Amino acid sequence: MTARLADSAPDPLVTAGTTFSGRRWWRSLQHAQVWIRISAWLGFLTLGLTYIPIIWLAVMSFSGRPLSGIPKPLTLRWYTEMTDDLRWVEPLETSIVLAVIVGLFCMVIATAVGRAIPRLRRRGSVLLLATLPMFVPGLTMGAALFFFFRSYLTLKLGEWSIFFGHLVWALPFSLLLVLVLASRFDHRLLEAAADLGASAWHRFWHIEFPIMRPAIVGAGLFGFLLSFTELPRTIFLHGRTVSMPLFQWTQASAHHSQVPLTFALASVMFAVTLPIMGGFFWFLFAKLDRS
Amino acid sequence: MFAMKMRQDSAFARWRGAPWVWPVTGFVVLWSILVVVPLVLLVFYSFLQVRGFKVDWTFNLDTWARVFESGRWQVTTRTLRIAVTVTLIELLIAFPFSLWLAKACKSKIVKAVVLTLLTIPFFLDVSSRTIVWRPIFGTQGPLNSVLVDLGLVDGPIEWLLFSEFAVHFGMIAPYFPTMVFPVFLVLSLIDDEYIEASRDLGASPLQTLSHVTIPLAMPGIMAGIVFTLVPTMAEYAVPQLMGGFTVNLLGRSVESALTALKYPTAAALSTFIIALLAALLAALVLLLHRRGGLAGVFGALSR
Repeated sequence: MTARLADSAPDPLVTAGTTFSGRRWWRSLQHAQVWIRISAWLGFLTLGLTYIPIIWLAVMSFSGRPLSGIPKPLTLRWYTEMTDDLRWVEPLETSIVLAVIVGLFCMVIATAVGRAIPRLRRRGSVLLLATLPMFVPGLTMGAALFFFFRSYLTLKLGEWSIFFGHLVWALPFSLLLVLVLASRFDHRLLEAAADLGASAWHRFWHIEFPIMRPAIVGAGLFGFLLSFTELPRTIFLHGRTVSMPLFQWTQASAHHSQVPLTFALASVMFAVTLPIMGGFFWFLFAKLDRS
Repeated sequence: MFAMKMRQDSAFARWRGAPWVWPVTGFVVLWSILVVVPLVLLVFYSFLQVRGFKVDWTFNLDTWARVFESGRWQVTTRTLRIAVTVTLIELLIAFPFSLWLAKACKSKIVKAVVLTLLTIPFFLDVSSRTIVWRPIFGTQGPLNSVLVDLGLVDGPIEWLLFSEFAVHFGMIAPYFPTMVFPVFLVLSLIDDEYIEASRDLGASPLQTLSHVTIPLAMPGIMAGIVFTLVPTMAEYAVPQLMGGFTVNLLGRSVESALTALKYPTAAALSTFIIALLAALLAALVLLLHRRGGLAGVFGALSR
């Protein structure tokens, strides 16, 4: 069978199926079937590389010697030690407060800017500027902000500088999420409402907001989650403040006896965050698929 | 049709005076201060010098000269090599997987589950999920003891941990979703009729793939490469946890220069990372340009 794509085989008779071998086609399809199965399983295997360590971490947190990689003898020692050694509480509080503030700011800014961008003439340049931090590695952005705040402005770093670092990281994601819904929004709805005498606030609150709600909530959640787990920018911008990922990082990278404790701590963190994330994204994707 | 366009334009005119222009203006100002200015000042800073704790405000190239003399070339080429290798591995696994997810996976439940599993890693703490591999890959870990017990190897394999292999391995899981998502989105936008038409014209599945699917998926592949290459170039946690002191990458150099208060050196290295990334991306765009141009690719997609 020499039939190729239309541009190289202009004779319609050749391509019209007269020389088409059915059996050969079926065989190539079967080959494709095998390849499809292999690619699916290879992808699942790679996904497993994310989730197997988390399960392993949880199992090992009950092991007497977590670093040995053998889940025995079983013990609750690390969990009881975690309740004795409470140094992790303050970083956790800092991270939660920061993440909530970053989430709220992301929600408000992404909504205000995201709903306006589709109505702009020069939306391309604004969008490029907004997504610029996505093209800069976290470490580089952290260093740039560090020099800006510390050396040029000679400010004392702390929670506020972490906040700005996190905002720069999280806002582009939140904005893109809002933009997906905002660019599909039918503006004739607002026009109709205006013609019927609704005020600007009523038009937003009763028409635009309910339609945009999934994206607005999602923007806040993105901000919260991205801030809650951010490390490379925090390393440069933290000053004397310690966030939870930074605490876990110093525990994990230090070569001393505190390492087993991180297993218990990380397990607790995963046990809290994973169900929330799983539930939300499941809801998001299942709902997106239906609409 | 024309009347509708007119109507939309008049609506546009009405909105222009409305109060939603100022959030954008405010945002542009905020982003210029928080993103553009610090990045410009970062480049600027690498040409300055610090004596004691005071910045010497005269331009010079001393920092750059020292950076290139002090053997950081090796670190740079290693970082570049590892980042590009990891990105290619991700592309090789992610493209077929995305194709399966976008076109072959018929069950909506499976699709939603996979998308959920792909989204969660964006929000996972890197250090705690990477450190787990250390005991597993260690010389006394379960993997090595199984291999020794089975008689497959004489002694424990040393290169499983604190090696370049370990660094590559550790980076594959965190940067898989960044590659899958853009490629999947583009592939699911491709109209099935193109693929069917190609088959009806007698193209083999391989020909359809190389002549129809891959060219149409090019924007997504490009986006995937960008979103994977950018963070891997400056990856910091994984090389340190999996590579130990043997695999030193640029990210680590920036951090150690900062802790040693060598601020201009840290700034020069950061600038260098950005310059390398820009060069890589420019090369990628040029490469694509030869194959019909970026605009052509985007045009093909929107058709």
